[in-house]
Amino acid sequence: MSKEVNRRDFLKLSSGTAALVGLSSIPGTLGAISSEQKRFNGSAKFVPSVCEMCTSSCTIEARVENGKGVFIRGNPNDKSRGGRVCARGGSGFNQLYDPMRLINPIMRVGERGEGKWKEVSWDEAYTFIAKKLEEIKEKYGAHTVAWTARSGWTKVWFHHLAQAYGSPNIFGHEATCPLAYGMSGKDIYGSSIGRDFAKAKYIINMGHNVFEGVVISYARQYMSALQNGAKVVTLDPRLSMMAAKSSEWHKIKPGHDLPFVLAFMNVLITDELYDKEFVAKNCEGFEELKNSVKEYTPEAMAKECDIDAGTIRRLAHEFAAAAPKAIFDYGHRVTLSAQEMELRRAMMMINALVGAVEKEGGYYLPKNSKFYNALLGEDDPKAPSLKKPKTPAYPKVEVPRIDRIGEEDCEYFLASKGQGITTLVPKAALNELPGVPYKIHGWFIVRNNPVMNYANLETVLEAIKAMDLVVAVDYQVSDTAWYADIVLPDTTYLERDQEITAGGGKNPSFSIGRQKVVEPIGNSKPTWLIAKELAEKMGLGEYFPWADVEDYRLQQVGDDIDLLAELKLKGLKSFGVPLMLQDKKSVAKFVKKFPGAAAKVNEEGLIDFPKKIQLFSHKLEKVSGTGGLSYNPYKYKEVDELFFINGKSAVRTNGAGANNVWLNNLLSEAAAWIHPNTAKKFGIKDGDEIEVYNKYATQRGHAMLTEGIREDTVFAYFGFGHVSKKLRFSGKGIHSNSLYPSFTGKNSGMDLHVVGVKIRKV
Amino acid sequence: MAKKYGMIHDENLCIGCQACSIACRSENDIPESVYRLQVRVLGPKKLPDGNMIFEFHRQSCVHCENTPCVTVCPTGASFVDENGISLVNTDICVGCLYCNAACPYDARFVNPITHAPDKCTFCKESRLGRGEEPACVSVCPTEAIVFGDINDPTSKISKVLSQRPTYHQRADLGTEPKMFIVPNKKGGIQS
Repeated sequence: MSKEVNRRDFLKLSSGTAALVGLSSIPGTLGAISSEQKRFNGSAKFVPSVCEMCTSSCTIEARVENGKGVFIRGNPNDKSRGGRVCARGGSGFNQLYDPMRLINPIMRVGERGEGKWKEVSWDEAYTFIAKKLEEIKEKYGAHTVAWTARSGWTKVWFHHLAQAYGSPNIFGHEATCPLAYGMSGKDIYGSSIGRDFAKAKYIINMGHNVFEGVVISYARQYMSALQNGAKVVTLDPRLSMMAAKSSEWHKIKPGHDLPFVLAFMNVLITDELYDKEFVAKNCEGFEELKNSVKEYTPEAMAKECDIDAGTIRRLAHEFAAAAPKAIFDYGHRVTLSAQEMELRRAMMMINALVGAVEKEGGYYLPKNSKFYNALLGEDDPKAPSLKKPKTPAYPKVEVPRIDRIGEEDCEYFLASKGQGITTLVPKAALNELPGVPYKIHGWFIVRNNPVMNYANLETVLEAIKAMDLVVAVDYQVSDTAWYADIVLPDTTYLERDQEITAGGGKNPSFSIGRQKVVEPIGNSKPTWLIAKELAEKMGLGEYFPWADVEDYRLQQVGDDIDLLAELKLKGLKSFGVPLMLQDKKSVAKFVKKFPGAAAKVNEEGLIDFPKKIQLFSHKLEKVSGTGGLSYNPYKYKEVDELFFINGKSAVRTNGAGANNVWLNNLLSEAAAWIHPNTAKKFGIKDGDEIEVYNKYATQRGHAMLTEGIREDTVFAYFGFGHVSKKLRFSGKGIHSNSLYPSFTGKNSGMDLHVVGVKIRKV
Repeated sequence: MAKKYGMIHDENLCIGCQACSIACRSENDIPESVYRLQVRVLGPKKLPDGNMIFEFHRQSCVHCENTPCVTVCPTGASFVDENGISLVNTDICVGCLYCNAACPYDARFVNPITHAPDKCTFCKESRLGRGEEPACVSVCPTEAIVFGDINDPTSKISKVLSQRPTYHQRADLGTEPKMFIVPNKKGGIQS
């Protein structure tokens, strides 16, 4: 395919890349051009920025080399990532001149998903969208348009525009990915949770596959821990790269992580292995927790999770002995189960039980400026705080959001409004949800790909077809863009500036966000500009009182110009010294640096937690009777079916990898992992073309026979089986989410990623 | 003393993520259809004790001391430079491809643009001159690749070589590669 594209006529360039016009046969896309015609108009010196190939947002720097290419590496100023980058990150430059990249707005002229388009000007595109949004506002109300934006920077602009327009229905991708553990952290510790992997001596890893998901800092820390002799025990139905590198691998039953964790907890409490002093001093709700897990003995849970009782006991004893340098990793993805909220809460409570919080090699609370400054004395220098540019108040909305976040009785109250439960959007487009007196009629989707990433493809497509307006903003015709009415071309991340962000690990830190490495190609525009220009067309220009990102950044830093200058040069900056509240040495160093903080140090030389750790949730109890922990067996599959699970590959993302030639040449189609004994029953041989099917969908792929998987389970990497025909590598492999049911996790709103399937040879 | 460049690929640290392969392609402008470097993830392999591991095979030029590719080259286009790096001078290459056939490591390919044999150069033309390490080394997330001067006893590579057992691919051929491999010992225990 790529060879055919390359053989097409080369297009003629007028002066400079900005005026580039594609002669591609597909409206809006760049088309093939020769290497001589590719201009990389940008910095020959490394420019610090942030990667956007997946959502991990690793720090990078990039430069134009010899005017003919862009080399990307990790930002060496970021010690946690050591100047390193993964394959996805390194291949970002590959999408700049991708022939199937979108460089002009396109408008649908056929039915949704029919693939008939015409190219339109930006002004035509804005006018169309503004008019449609106004029509929906008049007919149903602005609240009936849902806005889903990629996590991070794009959210800032489009959630702002959404609320200026009058819709409270703003969402990120979280409910399809990390939401439950974010919510759990908030409930138990009052914030998200950091993990000091590198210093840990013992880690229980329940499918947190950092060696294939590759978050650079996590991968490095895990590897350091292994190098230093830490014991890592991985529980995963499949021999992932993480499992293969671990000290032990246990083939846990898909979707049955919770019974293991509850039994583990039961052993810690029954055998009195928990840190009584720590729990008494820093936690609340221990008695309620103890009662709620009493019945979950290893013997009772062993058959549920398929890990024998003796092993559960041994692991719990080993873990407690290694504490406080012990981490019960609360994980990421793998098998999103039916009880995500209970699962992630239970995992996170274990570190509190053994007192491994705010200590080296355990959990820690991320310390942003506000957290850090609260500990400092009057005369100590303070960490900078970013300001938010002043904008007019949003119009008042009288109806609840579709997820009811913000209402007194909302079961998803632990999610922030900017996260929300985006997976409810398709459901709310098809039916009025309980307590929500309206349906969703429009969806404005910025760099999110529901057609690939939301469980149950059928529901998503049905919902999209029922809507009055679907807008997509993307740098390529993603699967979701394929079904949209209008698609606006975003730049890739190497072509845009973004605003400063503030956060914190063991101490406060700041990032420049992204910086432009090369000038935008074609007529693509950065998301901040799209939001601003569309707002102006909608008569909402006053909500965007900044000329560009540099102006926005200046408003963020206020008088602290030095902070901006340093961030632009180095990419990131941290303030003060790392602090672990329950570590004497760390507290002593902190006080030495900030003498005024001495007032916060207790008689043991430690600093108390800002709030007690909650082992029982009164609010969850009040809202839905789920304050304690309980295991409710869930029927994932029929007896004659196999479990189907998915996971990350190191050379693919779930939503956006299907145009990247470099990555696709490394892995163009993810095979289905099947145990040889299982394959034998179905007469399937290695490499056979097979169908993986259930009542929701039938997917076609190839079989890979391996003993690295449970006999009752089929695994496939996600991010394959793309449906957009404007993606170069569409159609290849298994579209995982089409096989999953439409499901909304209690309290978490999460999708479910375990389901029953059958397999057959084609 | 002249430099003698070598490299270590540590299979314990390697996670098979292909960051090295992509960085090589990006830095050295390698056409889509070919590659100078890939890490092939093989397995999982079941060890006699029941543990399962993946194996990581770095597929690239191993920079032999005794170079079959140079020996068979009729024009001197294949040569080893003063620092021990095996290279191709495309100006005097006649495209006979004897070198490709002679390479026991299958490390050479015909570059579809230059039509000459191409291979890993330890990034001599792109990075070494700027005082930078090869692209693969610079990006590796878990620092599984070490590069440096074997003749310098204070270099990182000499230190690692003195501390870790290493082996060569196809040591039986007597080619004496300057690519050293730290064997994979990690595995898992099934419950």
